[in-house]
Amino acid sequence: MNIEEINSRFAGHVFDKIDLKIKTESMVGYAKACGETEPRFLDPEHPDFQAVPNYPTRIHGTRGLPEDFPIDMRRCFDAGKSVTLHTPIRKGDQIQGRSEIAEIYEKTGRSGAMIFIVHRMNFYNQNDAHLATVDWRLVQRELA
Amino acid sequence: MILDLHTHSIASDDGRAKVENYCQWIQRKALPLDGFVLTEHRQFDEASDYRGLEDKFGLLILKASEVETEYGHVLVFGVNENLRAAFDFARIDNPLSMVLAESKRCGAVAVPCHPGRPKVGLCAHWEVRGPVEGVHAVETLNGGSREGENEQALEYANKFGWNQIGGSDSHIVSHIGRYATRFKKNLTSMDDLVAELTNGRCEAIRPEVSRT
Repeated sequence: MNIEEINSRFAGHVFDKIDLKIKTESMVGYAKACGETEPRFLDPEHPDFQAVPNYPTRIHGTRGLPEDFPIDMRRCFDAGKSVTLHTPIRKGDQIQGRSEIAEIYEKTGRSGAMIFIVHRMNFYNQNDAHLATVDWRLVQRELA
Repeated sequence: MILDLHTHSIASDDGRAKVENYCQWIQRKALPLDGFVLTEHRQFDEASDYRGLEDKFGLLILKASEVETEYGHVLVFGVNENLRAAFDFARIDNPLSMVLAESKRCGAVAVPCHPGRPKVGLCAHWEVRGPVEGVHAVETLNGGSREGENEQALEYANKFGWNQIGGSDSHIVSHIGRYATRFKKNLTSMDDLVAELTNGRCEAIRPEVSRT
C-alpha cells in the first residue's frame, strides 16, 4: 500500500475515544513537573486556575494507530508533539479525546526516506467546547 | 543587496521559527541581511502575507519552495500557478530533469541545494546516476552542512561552471544569516530575484556579523 492509499483509507477518521475527568492534583502536579511558576497554573484558588497549555500531551488514547493500519507502530519512534490550545482546561472538566490520523507523508533526509504519521487528538469538554489539538508525529524509515 | 535564500518557518513540518521572530532576530543582532526567502519543504505557502513585516522591519521577505527529487533537494524560486500544476510538490521522487525543465518553462529557476549532503544532495547521485541537463546553479554555502559538504558542492560548481548561491537552511531563529547570497542589483520582488539568479549575477557569501 502506498502513501496515497494509506492517506485515503485512514486519514480524517476518528478511530479511538477516551473520556476522563480533570483532577486538580493532576493539573498542579503536571504544572510543577514542567517547572511552571505562574499561580494560575499552580494555585487551585486562583480565579483563572487552568491546566498548563501542554497538559493534553500527557493524555493517551487506548491505541496509537487504527486497527489494520499497515505500518507497525513498534517500528516507529516519537518525532515530537505540538499543541494548539483553543480553550483553557479547567478543574472538574469532563473531557473527551478523539484520535484520528491527520496525515501521512514522506520526506527525505541524511538518513534516507522516512514516513511520518501525524496522530491527531482533539479534546472537548462536557459542553463540547474544543479545548485543544495535539499532533503527535511518529516516524519510521521508508516502507519495506 | 544580501538575501538569505534558504530558510524555513513553522509552515514546514520541521521548522520551529516564526517569520516575525526571524525579523526580530535580524534587527536585534544587526545582521547584514536585506531580507530572506522562505523555502518551505514540499509545498508553496500561498496563504501567508508578510507585507506588514516587510514594512515594519524594512526587510524583503519572499516565498519559494524546497522540493525533493531523485537527485536530492532543490530550491525553486518563482513558483507560480503553472509550475504548481506541472508537478506534485509533496512528492519525494520528482525527477530532477523535469523539475529543472518545468521551472524554466514556467519562468522560475530551480537550484539544487546542499549538493554535498549524503542522500539528499546532488553530488552523490550525480556520481551514481549520471549527469542531468539543465543545472545552472547550486547552493555552495549551506548553513546546515557538515564538514566537507560545502567544499564538495564548490568543487562541482567550479568543475561544471555553475552559478553559486548561499543560504542558512535555518529551521530555528538563531540560524538565519549563517550564509547568504549577495546581489549586485537592488531586488524588490521575486521576478527580480529570478532574473538575477538566471543571469548568475550573484555570489554565495558568509555575511560579516558585527561583534560589537
